[in-house]
Amino acid sequence: MSNKSAYSFIYKMRIQKALAYRFDVFANIIFQCIAMFATAFFWKAIYSGYDSVQGAGVYDMLTYTVISAVMSILFVTTVEFKLMESVKKGTVAMDMLKPVPLFSIYFFEDLGNITSLFFINGLPILLIGSLFIGMPLPADGVSAALFFVSLLMSFFINWFFAALFSLLSFVTINMSPLIQVKKHILRLLSGSIIPVWFFPEWAQGILGALPFVYIYQLPLDLYIGRYTLQTAMPKLTIQLVWLVILSGSFYAAEKSMTKKVMVQGG
Amino acid sequence: MERIKHYIDVSLYHVKLAVLTMLEYPANFVGWLLSNPIQFILGFATIKFVVARFGTINGWDYGHLAFLYGIAVISHAFSMIFFVQGWFMGEYVVGGDFDRYMLRPLSVLFQFFFTQFNIVGFTDLIPGVCVFAYGCHKVHFHWSIGNVMAVLLLITGATLIRGGIYIIMGTFSFWTKSRNDFAGFTQEFFDKTTMYPLSMYPRMMQIILTYIIPIGWISYYPAKDLLSGTGMGAVISLVIGVVTMTLAALFFKVGLRSYESAGQ
Repeated sequence: MSNKSAYSFIYKMRIQKALAYRFDVFANIIFQCIAMFATAFFWKAIYSGYDSVQGAGVYDMLTYTVISAVMSILFVTTVEFKLMESVKKGTVAMDMLKPVPLFSIYFFEDLGNITSLFFINGLPILLIGSLFIGMPLPADGVSAALFFVSLLMSFFINWFFAALFSLLSFVTINMSPLIQVKKHILRLLSGSIIPVWFFPEWAQGILGALPFVYIYQLPLDLYIGRYTLQTAMPKLTIQLVWLVILSGSFYAAEKSMTKKVMVQGG
Repeated sequence: MERIKHYIDVSLYHVKLAVLTMLEYPANFVGWLLSNPIQFILGFATIKFVVARFGTINGWDYGHLAFLYGIAVISHAFSMIFFVQGWFMGEYVVGGDFDRYMLRPLSVLFQFFFTQFNIVGFTDLIPGVCVFAYGCHKVHFHWSIGNVMAVLLLITGATLIRGGIYIIMGTFSFWTKSRNDFAGFTQEFFDKTTMYPLSMYPRMMQIILTYIIPIGWISYYPAKDLLSGTGMGAVISLVIGVVTMTLAALFFKVGLRSYESAGQ
């Protein structure tokens, strides 16, 4: 069996697995919608009496909220947990012997998971958000195109960041607290809930130099039309640079880490 | 009386076990000691930034919001110490883990919650107390005996309300047999509704969160009362907490009847 068909098999398996639990599917949609509505109400309440703050009106913020909720589904990664469990149980040695590279398996598992999540969670959330919060239309055609380019890079930045982070499993035995730290930092500093342009200048400066805002903030900014084609280019370049840095460091770190695998238990 | 003493002895012994387990893995605890404060300090910083841009949130300025946020995080911390298992009940149901509890001569609900203390929850207290103290300072909260009592009642009530809701939510897994924990969403929803003034949400949602799911009594109503100088809200919180917890325990009992010790 060639690698390609192995990958497509892993991908399909994940889709079937995600669809197997009907209750979870509905509960997930409900919970995610509740969180999305809470954020939308927050913006509506806080914008009462203001037309525009930091160049964004309440309509922009509602679009931002809906699109961010749908995007968050594309950024679900399980690679950290998978590798942590595998290292804990000692099965990582066996996994590495498999004819398909370990991280490729994790990547296609995540991709399969995300594909099914997009259809069973993402689309319903988009629909409910459009009906009850506001139609989240992009500012214009160029904005939409730039958004998709940026989103594609965001997806890989997010995945490589998770994969790079997962390698810490080889160093520390219990990763759970670290995974939480990563999750919270990403949630709060990436602009996923509150855009960083509401932060003070100094904080914006620091965050602009870190990779997090290139996961959520940049695609969302492009979507609501905060950049023109000219002003977007430097931003997209920085995003590309982060993608190269993160994927490069991942490959380098993976090579050196897997050489010194220490199997616990097993 | 004997019986109550026995229950207390058992749970104290498990407190000791929990501390010993924690000491066995110091790095793990240090990890949480960093992660939980970071989460809430960053969370509060974002509120501060937003308020700096907008002035107030529904008439609540920065000091009042810190006061509210502090109460929300402190009660969150206590609910994590005692009742976090409610979030993961699905895992226990699917894994058949209640078998063990049912075979022992103690109440199942008691064992489920009081034979495994989550010492890690104490790490949430640090940011909670810091932000609360800051808020108290900003709003010139007067530490009279009455107010101290009110704060204690309020924290107890708020913890019971949260715990009760976690148990009720978890109990559904006896029927759904789902191990999905929704912990992330649960926390996000509680954060959104307890850390910001409830009055900013639509009327319908306020009514639901006041009379049906009593989340408003965790922090918003008692904090509002305390800030205007009365401890009435805190007393009501405690009463609602006791009622919620009692209902949750009864519901749990009903749910347990549907437990099939399914195993995997």
